[in-house]
Amino acid sequence: MKPAWSWQFEEETLPQIEKLALPEAITKDWAWEGSTGAGVKVAVIDSGVDASHPAVGEVEGAVSLAWDDDLEEVVYTEGPHEDFFGHGTACAAIIKSLAPDAQIYSIRVLGAKLTGKGVVFVAGLRWAIENGMNVVNLSLSTGKRDYFDVFHELADLAYFKNVMLVSAINNVPNPSYPSEYAAVFSVAAHEGKDPLNFDYNPNPPVEFGAPGIDLEVAWQDGGTIEATGNSFAAPHIAGVVARILGKHPKLTPFQMKTVLHALASNAK
Amino acid sequence: MPDDMRSLLREFAETATDTGAAIAPVGHNELLQSITDTARTIFNAAACSLALLDEANEFLTFHVASGAGADEVIGMRVSVNQGIAGWVVTSGQPIAIADVTQDPRFASGFASETGYVPRSILAMPLETERQMIGAIEVLDRNREGADSSGDMQLLSHFARQAALAIEASRVFTHLGTELVESLARATENEDLRDALRETGQATRKPNASLATLAGHFNELGRLGDDERAAATGLVGEFLRYLKARGRPR
Repeated sequence: MKPAWSWQFEEETLPQIEKLALPEAITKDWAWEGSTGAGVKVAVIDSGVDASHPAVGEVEGAVSLAWDDDLEEVVYTEGPHEDFFGHGTACAAIIKSLAPDAQIYSIRVLGAKLTGKGVVFVAGLRWAIENGMNVVNLSLSTGKRDYFDVFHELADLAYFKNVMLVSAINNVPNPSYPSEYAAVFSVAAHEGKDPLNFDYNPNPPVEFGAPGIDLEVAWQDGGTIEATGNSFAAPHIAGVVARILGKHPKLTPFQMKTVLHALASNAK
Repeated sequence: MPDDMRSLLREFAETATDTGAAIAPVGHNELLQSITDTARTIFNAAACSLALLDEANEFLTFHVASGAGADEVIGMRVSVNQGIAGWVVTSGQPIAIADVTQDPRFASGFASETGYVPRSILAMPLETERQMIGAIEVLDRNREGADSSGDMQLLSHFARQAALAIEASRVFTHLGTELVESLARATENEDLRDALRETGQATRKPNASLATLAGHFNELGRLGDDERAAATGLVGEFLRYLKARGRPR
């Protein structure tokens, strides 16, 4: 049985990693100083984003996907929508706190009934990859074996198109897709609340540890709530990635992972 | 797959479904109750409950609960597009919320109906590699020296146990479809796999009264020799009586 993941970021467990000895070191200054994430498109594939929430500011684009039983296909509805749960709003607000000028695109795939959920989830991810998103935050996962192949294909497609897929790993000892693929930035929650402080785990599948424990996050009706979950850690990495891309828009996913590896708190 | 093979397989599957309840292991509900009782004790929590998805995947119904508000919560139904449990089953992600009274929709809805308004909730999906089953929730936990992340890891073990127990019991309710489906999963040949899946789906759904009858036989089978002999005698007599009336069915 596989263990859950956050324990890998505990102080006594997380190994120190060796910084890549480049002729010129990668520094936080070089990576993101002065960047606001301007020009970077970040998709939040979630329960919708409440554009009127003060912590979100503005939503550049929104599309809502649902399975239609009669048509037997996924239907896309473009235009503003509400957030069914508050979670998508929480993620968007975290990303905005790190990259205030990043353009948020809400891709709502959660909230309608669960039938066809996997298909809708897949369609939402495909929409993000094909519509020019630079970063995609996926604070959701499926443990269903049936989706192993299609998510694998999409993770590769994203990688080849320079789309950074940031995904929360499920904190239960089951497989979770797409967060377990090598092309994905897989994130679990670690202790600590500094949003620019993250760890690199040399024993994947989960590679990055970021804040996600006892955080005050945006929620429904313009409010906030104190919550814990890997689903809040992922948007921290998505926000950092957006901030770095704002300054270095041509980075590829593997270069981005190199930058994050170099800047991880446990890299000495 | 030839037609006669297909219909033979379907017949076999339907017989299996009809008799599944007769061979199901006992103690399924007791096991779920014990999981929520144990979780509640270990988390030193006010309550712990299990909500399961309905067949249409539109609603969650609370089936088992332990602690504060337990009687009120059992049987309660919530839509999957709202609330903490809804979030957990739709996203597949666990969540811990420190103070749910900050979420006005939650407090005014679900919690007030049960007569118990909690402060904190820890909720986790019940999921196996095959399906999403529901959610387990722990209300107002107070485990000494614990943090939300550690609690989440601990609850994940209960969630896994509950998910597997529920799935195992469902196998017996849909035994025929499950048997054909597992054949399909083990098949490399794509055409045969599709044909098996179609047959599995075309199999008649479980019949409630047959399942109850099979359940009675299950219980009778577990009694002592004398009781079993008496029951067999009684059932035999009853069947002879029905036949004599000329109404075998």
